[in-house]
Amino acid sequence: MIRVSNLKAAYGKIEALHGISFHVEKGEIVTLIGANGAGKSTTLKALMRLVPPEAPTVTGGDITFDGASILGMPAHRIVSDIRMTLAPEGRRIFGNLTVMENLQLASWSRKGESTDKEIQHVFELFPRLAERARQRSDTLSGGEQQMLAVGRALMTKCSVLLLDEPSMGLAPLIMYDMFRTLKRLNAEGLTIIVVEQNAHLALKVADRGYVLDTGEIVAEGPAEELLHRPEIKAAYLGG
Amino acid sequence: MQRYAINILLCVAAVVLIVLAQTETLDKYVLNIIMLIGINCIFAVSLNLVNGYMGEFSCGHGGFMCVGAYVGSLLSVAFFTDSKLFGAALFAPELAPFLFPLVLFGAMLAAALAGLIVALPSFHTRDDYLAIITIAANYIIISIIENIDAIGGSRGFSGMKKTVNAMSDLIDLPWMLIWTLIGVFVCVVVIRRLMTSTYGKGVSAVCQNEVAAEMMGVNTNHVKIMAFMVSSGLGGLAGVLYAHVYGYVNAQSFNLLKSTEGLVMVYLGGMGSITGVLMAAVAFTLLVELLRFIIPGLNTVFHDLNLLPASYQLDQIWTWVIIPLTLILLMQFRPEGFLGNRELTHVFPRLKRWITLK
Repeated sequence: MIRVSNLKAAYGKIEALHGISFHVEKGEIVTLIGANGAGKSTTLKALMRLVPPEAPTVTGGDITFDGASILGMPAHRIVSDIRMTLAPEGRRIFGNLTVMENLQLASWSRKGESTDKEIQHVFELFPRLAERARQRSDTLSGGEQQMLAVGRALMTKCSVLLLDEPSMGLAPLIMYDMFRTLKRLNAEGLTIIVVEQNAHLALKVADRGYVLDTGEIVAEGPAEELLHRPEIKAAYLGG
Repeated sequence: MQRYAINILLCVAAVVLIVLAQTETLDKYVLNIIMLIGINCIFAVSLNLVNGYMGEFSCGHGGFMCVGAYVGSLLSVAFFTDSKLFGAALFAPELAPFLFPLVLFGAMLAAALAGLIVALPSFHTRDDYLAIITIAANYIIISIIENIDAIGGSRGFSGMKKTVNAMSDLIDLPWMLIWTLIGVFVCVVVIRRLMTSTYGKGVSAVCQNEVAAEMMGVNTNHVKIMAFMVSSGLGGLAGVLYAHVYGYVNAQSFNLLKSTEGLVMVYLGGMGSITGVLMAAVAFTLLVELLRFIIPGLNTVFHDLNLLPASYQLDQIWTWVIIPLTLILLMQFRPEGFLGNRELTHVFPRLKRWITLK
């Protein structure tokens, strides 16, 4: 469904991705793992067509969705037309709005439609958010904020969800809950691309994985197999 | 009924003001100050949309007020008066009270278009860099107007009093007070309705995090254009009212000092709080005016107490020492302003029983 071919991307003059190729099929969970600075977040930002200075400039290669290039699209159209969205690193919820308003805002791309059904779905996935619906979102705990970030992304009615470090700063228990929820969303038909520092956890839930190192893909394969490859175990899974 | 108490109270207050002005119970000076308060309210509340709600730092709001003031003045002179510049009046002066909204609208439209000078660069820059662009925009606007000799150049432009007189000749009412009150009402309603709409949520989202906003499908460029244009357009409304209240405009009255006054009112009131900014606009205007009396008073007291040498007189220049000083103290002890980013009804929830905001 999504095909990235020989993608090169740079921040100013510094090339961050040196021609990576990968693909994601409908209904898959694909994970990108790698060390800090490997280009994982850069890849997601390039996929979302975000613009500098936040994101890199694509200098070569192509990204296609169902065969058509999406390089010329602005980010908000990727969200509204392609139905792909990103739950960015560090949550970035709208702190001055309530939980409910955060969720309602996410339906910006389909103004006028009722959002009750989606909100109910999000509340069912994350009951904690329902309890806090009227609360300003900057008063939420870290875990709740992450739930809101994912919930908010789902409100765009996305069919592809990109997640950048969803486990960051979460207690182990909440982290497992989060991944269980992702698995459930996947079973409901959502395609997921997840970037993770916690490679072990990511490979456990993913169908396939790609390993990035300094802007290049150095390994790929079914997640189960990657999990047991000795060199990957040594480099990313702590022996 | 109870829920509309404050709304009704405000309407009654407006009517009372108009009646007092009509019967000349209020002297001209007080009336002028009331109108100036109204104009400052519009100026500050409109700036609040960009600086408060959207979180950008616009320091050039005076420039848009200037565009509004000049375009409004020119339209007004061309429409209703015989002038050297435009020749005979386009419309009969008797139509002035009915067609004056056209003048206001034209001024707002022109100011909104001028807002594009800032809106378009805002796609790629933000924060400090955009602030510098807004200052530049302020200078550009003033320099352009100052260098067009046909509209008076640095001598300024006048003739709007004739329009105001034409309105009073037909129906004897304190017209400018009425237009100013309508202006304040329109400005507050527009910003309030905008901010409670989905678009307003988009503005808040841009303020908090542009990337996240874009990820929610918000067309951030669209939101920015709209916010800057509404803000500068309403700034232009303040300008055209100002021009007609005083009957004279000069580009230099809208320089960076004017823009700074706007910033002071916004930060004094609390960024992103309409009621806070309204309170600040009233307090600030009154403070400036009161200092006209307080400073000579202080001067006498200090001389009586022999605290100042006889050769030195405290004069009005000190206004611009005292006001920035208040600002410094405010930032030290209450950096969030009067209300922070909350409205009066959030600070005093019981007020909600008495007021209905739409």
